[in-house]
Amino acid sequence: MEERVTEKPELLFAELVPGRKFREFYFPVSDDLVQHYMNVVGDRHPLYWDATAFRAQGFTKPLAPPGLAAIYPRASYLQDHSMPSGGILVKQEFKFLSPAFVGDTLSVRATVASAEIDDKERKRVHFFIEAKNGDGEKISEVNIHAIWPK
Amino acid sequence: MARRRLVNIVASERTNSLVQGGLTVRSQNGLRLPELYKEIDQEKINNWAAISGDFNRLHVDPEYARTTSFGGTIAHGPMALAFLNELMMSWAGAKWAIGGRLLDVRFKAPIRPGERIKISGTIKGNCDLDGKPYTECEVYVQKPDGILAVVGRAFVPF
Repeated sequence: MEERVTEKPELLFAELVPGRKFREFYFPVSDDLVQHYMNVVGDRHPLYWDATAFRAQGFTKPLAPPGLAAIYPRASYLQDHSMPSGGILVKQEFKFLSPAFVGDTLSVRATVASAEIDDKERKRVHFFIEAKNGDGEKISEVNIHAIWPK
Repeated sequence: MARRRLVNIVASERTNSLVQGGLTVRSQNGLRLPELYKEIDQEKINNWAAISGDFNRLHVDPEYARTTSFGGTIAHGPMALAFLNELMMSWAGAKWAIGGRLLDVRFKAPIRPGERIKISGTIKGNCDLDGKPYTECEVYVQKPDGILAVVGRAFVPF
């Protein structure tokens, strides 16, 4: 994930045509990633790592932290681009539909749901992002609303 | 947009059940969710940049950030989303991970290094979303001066 923004061309508002689908993004939910996530966020829910806890809930593998959905949607539309400086995240929504597990590789697909200039000349963009687990089940839907800088 | 019908927003005596940590607990409307506290510092922000791949200079370059209208670095908005997910996992456990919804989350004020933020919420009542029953909660991230940095609505299936 550690890619400096200057290495890729900026994703410009003019390229965000409604209906545009970005190429599929693969997001491995590795043990290392989950450990790193727990360290950074401080979210150490036992369902992510404790076999007794996740088996008691009927799972055979540890759950992926749902908060990873704060990471993979943005990465899915910025695979080949960087985010221009000065954007504003306005609103975000998550729906969790099925479990994702540590060890899954998620396939994530972003679509530009809308892109328009509002009456204050702000460039408003709405991304809709779907993620599926290794079995092809949809695990989440995410909506991101942002004001794009240029 | 999901069709939403509030069934019970003010009937404070009504309760619903949630599975929390393998135990069934009864939660009254108006009850506060757990409170989480986080110390935000530049190291935490840099670590979020590393895990998310978002190295925007407004977040990670204090010298540059001082020249912007923010006057200094600010935490990434999605970091606050991770904290809200932690809050809901701590309260609802697996029910959150496989059916929760975090809707209408809005970013109202920047979170800055050096701030100790509170993440919490309140149970509002029961409602239907797409024909399924949920418990609705108002959730928020609050700055030390009381200003709400992030607000949203969380829905837990029951």
